[in-house]
Amino acid sequence: MSENGINHKFAFYLGCIAPNRYPGVESASIKAMKKLGVELVPLKGASCCPAPGAFGSIDLAVFYAMAARNLVLAEQMKMDIALVCNGCYKSIWEVNHKLKHNKDLRDAVNEVLKEVDMEYKGTINVYHTAELLYNDKFIGVDKIRDSVTNPLTGARIAVHYGCHLVKPHKDREFEKEVMLNTECPTWMEELVAAIGATPVEYRNKMMCCGAGGGVRGYDIVHALDITNEKLINLMEEKVDALTDICPFCQLQFDRGQIEIQEKFGKTYNLPVLHFAELLGLAQGMSPQELGLDLHGISCEPLLQKVL
Amino acid sequence: MAEKKATTKKAPSKKEDTKKVAPVKQEVKKAAAPAAKPKAAPAAAPAAAAAGSTTQQGEARIGVFICHCGTNIAGSMDIPAVEEYAKILPNVAYVDNYKYMCSMPGQAVISKAVKDNHLTGVVVSACSPRLHEPTFRTATKEAGLNPFRFEMANIREQNSWVHMHDREGSTDKAKDAIRIAVAKASLLQDLFPKTVPVEKAAMVVGAGVAGMQAALDLAAAGIKTYLVEADTSIGGRMSQLDKTFPTLDCSQCILTPKMVDVGRASMIELMTWSEVHEVEGYIGNFDVTVRKKARGVITPKEAEARGIVGGGCNGCGDCETACPVVKPNEFEVGMKPRKAIYINHPQVVPLLYTIDFNSCVKCGICVTACGPEKRAIDLESKDEFVKVKVGTVILATGYDIFPIEKKEEWGYKRFENVITSLEFERLICASGPTGGHLIRPSDGETPKRVAFVLCAGSRDNTGTGKPYCSRFCCMYSLKHAHQIIEKIPGCIPYIFYMDIRSFGKMYEEFYYRIQDEGAKFIRGRVANIIEDKKTKNLHVMTDDTLLDRPIDMEVDMVVLAAAVQPKEDTNRTRKLFGVSCSSDGWLLEAHPKLNPCGTTTAGVFLAGVCQGPKDIPDTVASAEGAASAASIPIHMGEVELEPYFATCIEEKCAGCGMCVNLCPYSALALVEKNGRTVMEVTEAKCKGCGTCGGFCPGGAIWMNHFTTPQIVAQIDAFLLGGEQ
Ligand SMILES: Cc1cc2nc3c(=O)[nH]c(=O)nc-3n(C[C@H](O)[C@H](O)[C@H](O)COP(=O)(O)OP(=O)(O)OC[C@H]3O[C@@H](n4cnc5c(N)ncnc54)[C@H](O)[C@@H]3O)c2cc1C
Ligand code: SF4
Ligand code: SF4
Repeated sequence: MSENGINHKFAFYLGCIAPNRYPGVESASIKAMKKLGVELVPLKGASCCPAPGAFGSIDLAVFYAMAARNLVLAEQMKMDIALVCNGCYKSIWEVNHKLKHNKDLRDAVNEVLKEVDMEYKGTINVYHTAELLYNDKFIGVDKIRDSVTNPLTGARIAVHYGCHLVKPHKDREFEKEVMLNTECPTWMEELVAAIGATPVEYRNKMMCCGAGGGVRGYDIVHALDITNEKLINLMEEKVDALTDICPFCQLQFDRGQIEIQEKFGKTYNLPVLHFAELLGLAQGMSPQELGLDLHGISCEPLLQKVL
Repeated sequence: MAEKKATTKKAPSKKEDTKKVAPVKQEVKKAAAPAAKPKAAPAAAPAAAAAGSTTQQGEARIGVFICHCGTNIAGSMDIPAVEEYAKILPNVAYVDNYKYMCSMPGQAVISKAVKDNHLTGVVVSACSPRLHEPTFRTATKEAGLNPFRFEMANIREQNSWVHMHDREGSTDKAKDAIRIAVAKASLLQDLFPKTVPVEKAAMVVGAGVAGMQAALDLAAAGIKTYLVEADTSIGGRMSQLDKTFPTLDCSQCILTPKMVDVGRASMIELMTWSEVHEVEGYIGNFDVTVRKKARGVITPKEAEARGIVGGGCNGCGDCETACPVVKPNEFEVGMKPRKAIYINHPQVVPLLYTIDFNSCVKCGICVTACGPEKRAIDLESKDEFVKVKVGTVILATGYDIFPIEKKEEWGYKRFENVITSLEFERLICASGPTGGHLIRPSDGETPKRVAFVLCAGSRDNTGTGKPYCSRFCCMYSLKHAHQIIEKIPGCIPYIFYMDIRSFGKMYEEFYYRIQDEGAKFIRGRVANIIEDKKTKNLHVMTDDTLLDRPIDMEVDMVVLAAAVQPKEDTNRTRKLFGVSCSSDGWLLEAHPKLNPCGTTTAGVFLAGVCQGPKDIPDTVASAEGAASAASIPIHMGEVELEPYFATCIEEKCAGCGMCVNLCPYSALALVEKNGRTVMEVTEAKCKGCGTCGGFCPGGAIWMNHFTTPQIVAQIDAFLLGGEQ
């Protein structure tokens, strides 16, 4: 252990949706991780990751260059990146990986970065905070369990893994082998159990939230149709909340429920929380501190059960 | 652009580099000097070298023959320019070109030229030596020269084919290749292949249908054959099958007669519950140590040898009834129990029980059940090692099912009603665990809707499965569809496929028949299978690529046509015999088209699926091919060994023994000679790889046909030119 119980420091890449829609994810991540010995240092000057679907499908050169710029900012801080969003993970982790292994691409990107006096060197790694939480090299399930002051006993919580963190399987290289399970992973459920809640399995767990790949922007009804199917499957299991590790998925499930009500006339009122928010609750942070009041769907029913 | 590049690069490099190269020249010469001695003093070199004392540079008269290979070579380079260039090379006494050097008239050109011009060596500048070295070696021999006075310059595979659009570049490269070949040819020596006698016995490893067929053929040809099988009984996978496509005859019915024949054949020595432990030697003389695993049960013959008259296992099964230990039966893919003392199924050959000592608690109940007359059970039995000598070997180690649970999306081992095709074979088989009733493992109900997922783990480029086609799953899945339509009225098979590969004789007809019988075909790779927790029914999710719509089909049962992969122990076994495998693990044939049964290790052949997925007809055909190939050296009585072995120049050898450890073929040993320790080569074991020759610090190893002076001359010719 080094200073103030901090063992690891990471450049904290926020992305767009977390700070703009769910600021609680940001504060929860910083505070909860600190208790677990990990300091998240803001990555100043960062831009959009950029969104893999929106940018990646239109102009790859821009996509690579923008992601590389974010990486260079962290390289300059001499810190690995930690981030809280699956979409950001796909962009920044994959671009880092590609640039490290493909010299031609690296040269091309550096040609672009020259214009802003930057050079990508390939000196850092990129992690999702969920990975830091699960991997005992950084934190691990036991440490999380020990940090809990307010166990979420009795809450039935289902997990939405989202697509971009675990897929495509052949491009992922997690140190923890169980994280390479793309079709029926259960490591997030271990995290849910560690904070005292009851993890719940449900039909077609690995189905997409509906929003990704530009579907939400392109065809909202179609996107909501997928979300709706997931919600039906979730309600079958009588869950108290859904937890995710991606603000974009969270947006789709949370705001999406309001849109589903408007468009399909169906009401679910299922609280949707980023795992960082749940962890914050379990570590004794207040709902206000976590910005839970900013959610589209009220978290009150869950809070009544666990507080 | 590309043409320019090649030539402009070349031109300066020739002139400018002469200066830079100069010091290299000296070094090379120095290195060459000591090694050159044995050439001048052939007494030190082997007898073969002695006969080749005409290889002094001045006396060499080399003929160069340039092949057009139609337009394959001539289309990409300036043949007349190459020819003119060859004429100015040292020692070249004759140059000619011909449209097809390998044709009979082409070979006649060589023959005539050798005689007319008193040539001492031949260089053919054509394709790869892998293709035509034997052809031209024979032509050289027929012209009256020692066949090893021949050298090939590859100007096709390594030149015209890859530099098709760089005429100047490829012309220059051909000149280089010929100059190098001439340099070597000038130093070539007469070599004389050795012959070794061939043991009149063969070994077949693996007794599935491939190994059995190969052994039967060898035995019928009068060759004593050791058939080594790792399992307790012969028969392999085919004995687990119910029916066989496309004729639908019962697998056991057509297999058991063969099994019985194998058991009876006097020329076949069957070694079940055994594996190859160690291999020494080479074609004609393999010394193979077989490990007979402790079996705990003795045959009547073994009983007799122990003085137990009328004893030994008669297959009554009293021990099995008595044994208290219950284990899953692997033959039934774990769907039926067996005891610690067991046989796979009632028709086993040999009918001899086996104790699984990993589960046996040595309670001794079976010994009592077996009784004092038979006394067939020996709980203290140990592994035995048997050494046999054979002339040739056939590997027929077959396949395993790919662990399809690795394709997590289909839920095998997570969802009870998702099974593999091999499990289906046992469930639909009258002698199987359910007496031939296909039932759902979850509730024992008869399914009414069964999905078949084809290419499960095959043709898979995700990195989890196998990239190749497993070749028999399409056909056996059609067979399975037929079987359920026949056995379960109203049951519908849904076949999810990519392509139906019905390539064999009467296979396409079989495919149409199954379509007519009412099987439903959906073209789409199954993305995901989801279990309904309450009913244990399964939802098969895919995209129907013909109708262009997503599918979510609820079925009662899913059968995964899982990919196949080489049998578990294949890698260890193949290494013992020095056989390579391709990147997917299947054993590597000598040539995929022209020598599919041979391997690059002389005397070792391949049969059946161990070489790559094959259905039974192809397996049996390959087994008969391998048996025929393996019997040739045995019937010849002796085999010729390539004379490329290493020899020790004893005066120079310091007896350090480093080479002995380096040799990958254990061909070298240290011996005492005239009061000194020197290295000695077992020529028949030496493959001429040159590892020792390149290493020896004293330059005491002489590699026939790849001598240091020859190699140095080639390097010199390349670096320094040497045109006259
Ligand atoms: C579900 C299913 C259904 C099929 N249906 C049909 C069909 O209807 N028609 C058809 O034509 N084909 C069918 N096939 C294919 C058929 O099974 C094969 O073509 C055939 O079994 C190949 O025989 P083999 O002898 O090469 O291999 P195997 O049958 O695998 O035999 C190999 C033998 O070698 C032994 N062995 C392995 N390694 C060693 C070792 N190191 N030392 C000693 N012994 C060893 C094994 O124990 C085994 O006995 C089917 C396959 C499957 C999976
Ligand atoms: S000694 Fe072993 S094989 Fe015999 S009955 Fe006991 S457990 Fe079974
Ligand atoms: S045989 Fe058919 S099912 Fe099997 S891998 Fe080949 S194409 Fe796929």
